[in-house]
Amino acid sequence: MEIKKHPIKNTLLLLIMAIVLNACKKDVTTNANTNLPVVQGYLVVGKSISVKVTMQKVLTDTAVYGTPIKGLKLNISDGSSTIQLTESSAGTYIYSDSTFLTTGKTYTLKFSYLSYAVSAQTIMPAKPVNFTTQHTGMSIDDLLGNNNPLDTLNVVSWANPDSLNHVLVFNNLDGISFPASTRFGNATTDFELNTNRAAAYPFTQRTFAYYGHYQVILCTVNQEYINLLTSNASGSTSSNLSNQPTNVVNGVGIFTAMQADTLQFLVQ
Amino acid sequence: MKKLLLLLLFVVAASSGFSQQTQKILKKNYINKFYTCPLDKFLDTLATTYHLNIVFERDTLDKLDIVEHFFNESVQDALGKVCNEYGLHYWIEANGIIYILQNTDDLARLKKTNKGDNMVSGGIKPVLLPDPVEPPSHFMFTISGRVVDQGSGEPLPSASISIRNTHLTTTTRNDGNFILFNVPSDTCVVEVSNSGYQPEKIRLDAKKIKEPLVIEMFTALNTLNEVTITGKKSGVMNTDTKKVGVLELNPASLDKLPNIGEKDILRAFQLMPGVAATNESSSGAYVRGGTPDQNLVVFDGFTIYQVDHLYGFFSAFNSNAVKDVQLYKGGFSSQFGGRLSSVTEINGKDGNKNEASYGVDLSLLSVNAFAEIPVNNESTLVLAFRRSYQGPLYNKIFDQFNTSSVQGGGGPGGGGPGGPEQTTPASHFYDADLRYNYRVDKNDILTWSLYNGEDETNNSRALQIPSFLTSSVNSINITDYTKYGNLGSSVKWFKKWSKNVYSNTYITYSSFFNDRNRSTAGTIDDSNGDPVSFESGIVEKNSLNDVGVKSEWNWEMNNKMKFAYGGFLTRQGTNYNYVQNDTATLVNERESAFSGGGYAELLIDPTDKLHLQPGVRETWFGPTGKLYTEPRFSASYLLNDHFTLKAATGQFYQFMNQVTQEDILNGNRNFWLLSNNTNIPVGMARHYMGGVSYETDQFLIDVEGYYKTLSGLTEYTLRQTNAFPGSIATLTQDFYNGTGYAKGIEVLLQKKLGNYTGWISYTLGQAEDKFAVFGNNYFPADQDVRHEFKTINMYHYYRWNFSAVWLFSTGHPYTAPLTTYTISTLDGNTTTAYTVSGKNELRLPDYHRLDLSATYDLLKINGNKIGSIGISLFNVYNHTNVWYKEYQIQNNAAIATNVDYLGFTPNLTLSLRWK
Repeated sequence: MEIKKHPIKNTLLLLIMAIVLNACKKDVTTNANTNLPVVQGYLVVGKSISVKVTMQKVLTDTAVYGTPIKGLKLNISDGSSTIQLTESSAGTYIYSDSTFLTTGKTYTLKFSYLSYAVSAQTIMPAKPVNFTTQHTGMSIDDLLGNNNPLDTLNVVSWANPDSLNHVLVFNNLDGISFPASTRFGNATTDFELNTNRAAAYPFTQRTFAYYGHYQVILCTVNQEYINLLTSNASGSTSSNLSNQPTNVVNGVGIFTAMQADTLQFLVQ
Repeated sequence: MKKLLLLLLFVVAASSGFSQQTQKILKKNYINKFYTCPLDKFLDTLATTYHLNIVFERDTLDKLDIVEHFFNESVQDALGKVCNEYGLHYWIEANGIIYILQNTDDLARLKKTNKGDNMVSGGIKPVLLPDPVEPPSHFMFTISGRVVDQGSGEPLPSASISIRNTHLTTTTRNDGNFILFNVPSDTCVVEVSNSGYQPEKIRLDAKKIKEPLVIEMFTALNTLNEVTITGKKSGVMNTDTKKVGVLELNPASLDKLPNIGEKDILRAFQLMPGVAATNESSSGAYVRGGTPDQNLVVFDGFTIYQVDHLYGFFSAFNSNAVKDVQLYKGGFSSQFGGRLSSVTEINGKDGNKNEASYGVDLSLLSVNAFAEIPVNNESTLVLAFRRSYQGPLYNKIFDQFNTSSVQGGGGPGGGGPGGPEQTTPASHFYDADLRYNYRVDKNDILTWSLYNGEDETNNSRALQIPSFLTSSVNSINITDYTKYGNLGSSVKWFKKWSKNVYSNTYITYSSFFNDRNRSTAGTIDDSNGDPVSFESGIVEKNSLNDVGVKSEWNWEMNNKMKFAYGGFLTRQGTNYNYVQNDTATLVNERESAFSGGGYAELLIDPTDKLHLQPGVRETWFGPTGKLYTEPRFSASYLLNDHFTLKAATGQFYQFMNQVTQEDILNGNRNFWLLSNNTNIPVGMARHYMGGVSYETDQFLIDVEGYYKTLSGLTEYTLRQTNAFPGSIATLTQDFYNGTGYAKGIEVLLQKKLGNYTGWISYTLGQAEDKFAVFGNNYFPADQDVRHEFKTINMYHYYRWNFSAVWLFSTGHPYTAPLTTYTISTLDGNTTTAYTVSGKNELRLPDYHRLDLSATYDLLKINGNKIGSIGISLFNVYNHTNVWYKEYQIQNNAAIATNVDYLGFTPNLTLSLRWK
């Protein structure tokens, strides 16, 4: 059998060269994001300002928070005046004059870390309006009790004509926790719920995992806080992983403003 | 009508008469005699007495003696008995000669040396082509006809027809029909060849050319294909060297490849260049950097939307019901549209119209049975059904794809009293095919095809109620199932309008569904002792309906020009519904789209060497209200007998997307969404492809390169938020849009003939996407694989077929967390997030595995194959191939776990056929 080697060889070579040469051209994206500082700052009207700055943790680190970053100069500007925060403890920067925060103003945090100019911006939302509860308390049974698990036992509501973001925060005020059901496993006594821009939230048998006195706090929050509620670490695999949204430029974490209103509620 | 057909058969199939005559002699004559002589003398006597031609090796048979008294036994039985006694087979060729074989591979040798003493002359001379009876009287006329299998009457596609000593040549279409223009005279010889069949020659005459020819071909002895047919391959898998990016599969030969459980037509394609082979979790085709949903799968004219069984490990098509399959890897004809990447065209079997035949395949995974039944003279019926059973092999694969290696979040305090229940879900898949073929008259054929397939995993159960609760709780039932599948059907009307115009008109229906129900319902007694019922959980339903009509026309103007054109009208409807706790409907999307259009294509052969195929396709898509134009062009040029140059280009649109909802614990779920004017754009691709092939009788070298641009790509994520106790969950659907490109080069080196056959395939490829949400740069697409090397080796040793398949590919891209950080939330708890690497910046380890198989053919005494026994070993050296990685936060640290593909897995198969 005779194979004419040369023509095919040449064609092959040419084609392979063309592709290989093309394939070598690659955008290399170096990932320096791991050095970015972690910012955690909540601005609440009537409260002093506290911003925590830490380093990110290596994957095997079992500490809750990363190493605090000391010695930074943090500024917050409200558009007209700028304040400087002081470091109260390692990595925690405070400003105690609560009058600096007012509704509707835009606050910009700025500091430098390594070679990064870190900044973040947030707007102070309005205070919640007409936050009321239908009942001052409700009684629940355990899973196999008298209530249909889906029945609405109480409704909290507020005014929300513009469909703004609100979260409900529940703080159990009793020192000892009495679980309402074993179903919830390792559920915490304090928890928060996204109300999905609604103007009311129904409480059912299943809303509470523990009996007791609760402080129910309604917070008007910005979208950056809603983004924080879903972590990219839950149920993630190498095929669906993507970065957590953040409003911090040259950093990760959150710097956000919010206002709150509070109710008392009893679960028995 | 029937008489006319019979007459035609008699007149035309001149050579087939000899084989039939021999069979008749064997059946109609009876022996009543005592023989005690060497075997060769016995055969001599038979040949002389009954005027038979028998070919054997005298030297060998002379040493065998027979002592046998036949009491009124047919010659056929006597011959069978004697052959059986000595482990011989007899085989009747189309020319009527009987060959006595020790091994099936001896046939070729006997044919070459059947001279002198070796051959016993009988009454009939072996068939020679008859000389012309009279001088030619017709010139430059057109002949048309059909090529069918002599045994079953099944039309034979891709058979090559030529006129001896001319350049006139053509191949039969899928329905076995052909037409040849400008035949020089009515004394010409038509030569027909087809893989797996004995070549036929027919001398034309004045009478024959008046009616369509019906050419019956005899199957070749199941052995090596020693006959070399230029441009025609006989392997399991072939490339069309005349066209760019076309692969053909012969389902009947699939048992020669290793298989794990089922002969799988889509898996087989993955052994060829340009089709990725390392996605064990999807039998859908990743063609040239495309994704499975960019591959149009058409079964008898209707679209199949769910091509997988068992989380993608098996394809949804029963190879016993399939006649032939083509995969167009890109740059495809304007006849097809609606997908960006490729087309898989599957045609069902017409069925045996002469006699009923049955078959069954058994494996450790499933049982697969089929029947081909001639209902009456005009119609045939094909039925095929398979169902898995939940044996160890099924469970092994099920577990592989259904549970992750890491169990849920855990931590102290998890689980209530008694711990989680241990249950084993019931799971199975099945599919069924029905095809009814009705020949109304000689120009009209109606075909009804029905396909139904379903996967079901059911873990529904009644909860065992602890004794201390039985007083208040009446019953609690957990419903937990996932079902998905297809139902598709088409009615096809084939009409031959004239000698050179014919059409196929289809009414098609296809539906797809994917349902999941995980809910708890029951009744409990309230404090008054009255029963109260409750229900909670999630019910998720996705369905798609596709109803259409289309008509495809072909007008063969002359040998140099064909015109193909057609129109289509479709209504597609999708429905996606996600209900929680019976009350909260989280997603309820119901969309429908009308689309319609047409296509036209010219197939021009200006010279023997050049083929040009310009075409255009127009589609009006309702939801966007726009007209989409898709120009297409392909060409090939034969440089000489060995070299062919080929190229194709075109523009392609896609109007729907398959999106994946990730669910690690219950398996990912796929569903379809239609394009719209808002978040799911119409996808668009441009293909540029070229190649060169070099082919000899023994070898084929095929090199093709491709470059594709893509726009309007959609990535979809479904996120559940508020996963806090007692809360009503919210689903966030995010649609990300982007662009992409894919490029690559494919090399195929195939050895086509001999004891050893097989091929080596190498693909160098790159597929990158750019989605604004992931940054401004291109990143490797999920399916991007740089190098892929496949070697498929088949060795034929008498009745054994051995095969070894080794696959190697560089790793798939993935995204990994690099660091973590923790933030306190308003409730005093914390949330931990990852800082992740660039999208798909890292690579999983290289994938490789070796599969082996051995198949032993079961033959009848007359040489016909009646089945096979096979053993397959998957991933022989048990290489750990990583599918993906899972990340979890435990004790504030991130833990990565590999989720692997299947390890070493053996399988046994038994196939049996009856006629």
